[in-house]
Amino acid sequence: MTPSPPDTPVRDITLLLEGTYPFVRGGVSGWVQQLIEGLPEFSFSLVYLGAQRASQGEMRYMLPSNVRELQCHYLMDGAELRDLRERPGDSDYFAQSACMHGWFRNPEGEPDPAWLNRVVLQESQKPGEPAKDFFRSKAAWQQISDSYNRYCPNASFQAYFWSVRNMHTPLLKLAAIARTIAPSRVYHSVSTGYAGLLGAMLRQRTGSPLILSEHGIYTKERKIELQSMFLREQEGWFTPVPDLGMAHHDQAWVRLFEGIGRLVYHAADPIITLFEKNGDRQVRDGASRARIRIIPNGVDLACFAPLRAHRTEQIPRVLGLIGRIVPIKDIKTFIRAIGVLSARLPDVEGWLIGPEEEDPGYAEECRALVQSLALQERVRFKGFQKVEDMLPQLGLLVLTSISEAFPLVILESFASGLPVLATDVGACRELIDGKDLDDRALGRAGDVLPIVDHDALARAAHTLLTDPARWSAAQQAGIERVERYYQQSRVIDSYRDIYQRTGAS
Amino acid sequence: MAGVGFELRRLLQNNTSLTGRGQAYAFAALIGSGPWLLSIAAILGIALHSTRQNFSADVVGQFQVSVTCLMAFSLILTGPLQLTFTRFVADRLFEQQPRQIMANLFGALSLALLTAGLVGSAALALWFDGSLLYRQCMLTGFVTLCGIWIVMVFASAINAYRQILLVFLLGYSITFGASLSLRDFGLEGLLLGFVVGQACLFFALLALVVRQYPGERMVSFDFLRPGKIYLSLVFTGLFYNAGIWVDKFIFWADPLTGMAIVGPLRASPAYDLPIFLSYLSLIPGMAVFLVRVETDFAEKCENFYRTILRGGTLAQVSQARQELVDAVRSGLLVMLKVQGATSCLLLLTGQELLAWLGISGVSVSLLNIDLVAVVIQLLLLGMLTVLFYLDQRMAALSLCLLFFSSNAVFSWISLALGPALHGYGFFFSVLLTASAGLVILLKKLDQLEYETFMLQPVIF
Repeated sequence: MTPSPPDTPVRDITLLLEGTYPFVRGGVSGWVQQLIEGLPEFSFSLVYLGAQRASQGEMRYMLPSNVRELQCHYLMDGAELRDLRERPGDSDYFAQSACMHGWFRNPEGEPDPAWLNRVVLQESQKPGEPAKDFFRSKAAWQQISDSYNRYCPNASFQAYFWSVRNMHTPLLKLAAIARTIAPSRVYHSVSTGYAGLLGAMLRQRTGSPLILSEHGIYTKERKIELQSMFLREQEGWFTPVPDLGMAHHDQAWVRLFEGIGRLVYHAADPIITLFEKNGDRQVRDGASRARIRIIPNGVDLACFAPLRAHRTEQIPRVLGLIGRIVPIKDIKTFIRAIGVLSARLPDVEGWLIGPEEEDPGYAEECRALVQSLALQERVRFKGFQKVEDMLPQLGLLVLTSISEAFPLVILESFASGLPVLATDVGACRELIDGKDLDDRALGRAGDVLPIVDHDALARAAHTLLTDPARWSAAQQAGIERVERYYQQSRVIDSYRDIYQRTGAS
Repeated sequence: MAGVGFELRRLLQNNTSLTGRGQAYAFAALIGSGPWLLSIAAILGIALHSTRQNFSADVVGQFQVSVTCLMAFSLILTGPLQLTFTRFVADRLFEQQPRQIMANLFGALSLALLTAGLVGSAALALWFDGSLLYRQCMLTGFVTLCGIWIVMVFASAINAYRQILLVFLLGYSITFGASLSLRDFGLEGLLLGFVVGQACLFFALLALVVRQYPGERMVSFDFLRPGKIYLSLVFTGLFYNAGIWVDKFIFWADPLTGMAIVGPLRASPAYDLPIFLSYLSLIPGMAVFLVRVETDFAEKCENFYRTILRGGTLAQVSQARQELVDAVRSGLLVMLKVQGATSCLLLLTGQELLAWLGISGVSVSLLNIDLVAVVIQLLLLGMLTVLFYLDQRMAALSLCLLFFSSNAVFSWISLALGPALHGYGFFFSVLLTASAGLVILLKKLDQLEYETFMLQPVIF
C-alpha cells in the first residue's frame, strides 16, 4: 500500500457507488444505508459516480455520522478539448490497447496486469496526454478505422466513430478520477460497471483489496436497457431502421460492459452476491468460483414478526401482488389467474398493491383487461400502501414477474407469516423451496410457477387456499426459513467479518 | 463564395451550349478575378488615353500613383474584414438566416468607413500638403474604395451576375468618362472624376445588395462576436493583401528605384508597370479556376461531407475524398494549362503587344519574370481557396504569413542585388509559398478523413 501523508487519515472503507446512494432511492440505496449504520465501528468514505451534475437531484438519505467524506464525479460532464493540433500518438499504447480489446472479444486466460496499468490507468503518462492521444492522434484514428474495417465495414462510419468515442470518454475520466481518491484500507464497489472499474483501478494503484457486492447483474441490466432502447427506435412497420449500425453498436456496448465486468471480477475478492443463480451468472461472465460468496438480503424481524398476531383464524381468500404496475411484473397474468380462479372460488379477490404512475398506459391496459373479463368485483387496484398494513389481510402473496433479482417482499411476507406464490425468476425458488439440503428440509413456503402461466398459478393458489393444513405448513416453513437464514443482523455480521478479514480495521 | 458557386453551377447546367459556358467563364472572370483587375485596367486605360492625347505625363503619373496608393491601402485596411465577412455571410446563408445579413452589412460598413475616415484624415493631416480639393478627393476616394471592397463581399454572395456586371461596367464607364472629361482641371480633375465614378459604383452595388436581402434591424455588429468571428481569417486577409503589396512598397521606398511623385506618395514606374500588366494577363486563368472551383470542386466537397453525415461507410467516405482530390488536381491542371498557354503567348509576343499599345519604357526581362510569377501566384490563390473550402484556416494563415514575410525579405534582397534581379524576389516568394502550399494541401487532402473526424472540437 502506498504510504499516505500523515495529515490525511486513511479511510477504513471507501464505497464506490454508481447512480445510487445517496442521490437515488431504491433497494440498493437502502441496503447501503443499513450497512453503514449497522457498522459504526468503521469509518466510510463515499465516491459517487453520476452522469451529469445538472441532472443530479438532492441527497435522498441522511449520511450516518461514520461517513467521513462524500466525493461526487460526473462522467458525462466535460469541457471542450481545445487543442486541435494533430499528433502521432503513442503507437505502443494503442498496440497494448488492441491486445486488451482482443481479450474482451475472446477472453481466454488471465488479463495481463500491464493492461490495467498502462492502458486503463495510463500510468507513466502525463495527465491529460492519454485523452489527447485518444481524441486527436493518428494512432487512435488508425486503431478505430482498422477495427471498423475488420468488424463492421458496412455500418455508418460516423455512427461507429462517435459510439467508440462515447464508450471511451467515461473510461478516460475514470483514470483521472482514480488519481484523486484518497488511500483507503479497503475499496468496496456496489456494482461492476464504471464504479467497479474504478475499484479495479484503485486496487491496481494502491494494492488495497477490492470487495465487490453485486445485487443485480450490471451487464444484464445494461443489455435490457439497450434492447428496450432499440425497440423504441423501431416504431412503425414501415419506418426503416434509422441506423444500420445500431445492432453492432448495441453489441459493442454490451461487450464493453462485459469486458469491464471481467476486469472487475479479476480484481475483486471476495465477489459477493445475493443468491446462487446470480453467482452462477458471475462465473459465466468471468468470475472465479472460489471468490464468490453469497450473502442474501435480510429483513428486520422485529418489524414484521408482530404482524403474525394480526392474522385472522380463517385464511383470507385474497391474493395480493405487491409491486409497481409495470410490464416487467406481468400484472396481466395475475388478473387472468384471478379470472380462472373465480370460476372455482367465487369469493376470491386479487389485490394489486403498488403505484401506477410509472407506466400509466400499462395500468390502463390492465384495467381494460379487468373490464373485459368482468372481474370488476374481484380485482382491486389498491394503489401505494404500507406493506405492514396489507400483509395480514392477504391469504397469499403472489409475484408474477418475468424478471426479479432478490425480492425483499418475499422475506417480509414470510416474516409476517404469509406463504408466497412466485414465478421461477431470480432468487424466488431459493427463497420458497430452500437453497441447500438443510434449508429444503424446512419445507416449501408456497409454490414456484413458470412465468406467464395463469392456469398453473390458479391451480397452485386453489390448492393452498383450500387446504389449511398445507397452507399452515407453508407458513411455518417461511417463518423458520426467514428466521434462520434471512435476518438483517446476519447481513451486517457477514460484512463485518469480511471487512475485518480484508483488513479494513 | 458558396453562393457564387451555386449560381455558376446552374449557369453551366442550363446552358450546355458553348456560348452558355463562355458566358459563365466571362462572368466568373469579371466578378471573381478580383476587383483589382478592373481597377488596374481602368487606371491604365485612363493613363493610356491621356498620354496619347499628349496630356502632361507628370499629371498622369501623379494620378496613377494616387489611385494605386488608394487601392493598395484600402485593400490592406479592409483585408482583415474581407475573409471574415465572406465566412460570416456563408455561415448565415447555410443556417438559412439571410435576415441577419443586411444589418451586419451596415455594421461592417460603419466600422470600415469610420476606420477609413479616421486613418485617412490622420494620414492627410500628417503627410500631405497639396490643394484642398486634392486632399478632399483622396480622403473620399479612400473611404469609398473601402466601402466597395466590403459591399463586394456581399455582392458576390448573391446570385445576380448580370446586375453586378452591369453595375461594374456602369461604374467604370462613369469613372472613365468623368476622369477624361475633367482632366482639363489637371490632377484634381482626374481624381475627382475617379471618385465620382467609384461613388456611383459603391451606391449602385449597395442598392443591389440591399434589394436582395431583407432585414428588420438597421445595424448589427454580430459578426464581431466571439464564436462568429474567426481571428485566423482576420490575419489571413491582412497578410494576404499586405503580401501582395509589400514588394511594391519596398521598391517605392528605395531612393534608387523609387521616386516621389505627389506629396509623400512614391512610385517605381519601372517596377510597377510590368507587374500591373502581368496581373491583367491572369484573366483567362482566373476565369477557368473560378468555374472549376466553384462548380466541380465545390460539388465534390459537399458530396464528401454529405457522405459522412448521411451515414456512409468508411469506404464510401474514402471514395468521396478521392473524387474530391481528383477534382482539385484536374482543376489546378486545367487552370495551369489555360494560363500557361496565355502566358507563353505573352512571353513570346509581349514586346510587339506593348509597342502596339504604345506603352514604352518597360523592361522586358522584368515583365517576363513577372508574367511567370503571377501564374504561380494564381496557383497559390487556387490552393488557398481549396484550403478555405476544407476549413483549414490555420494552414491558410501560415501560407499568407509566409507569403508576406518571404516577399518582403526576398524583394529587399533582390533590390540590393541590382536591377537585373528586380522581380526575382517576388518570383521566389510566390514559388516558395506555392510549393509550401502544395505540400500542405496534398498532406491535408491525403489525411482528410483523419482531420475531419479527429481534429474537431470535442467535449471531454
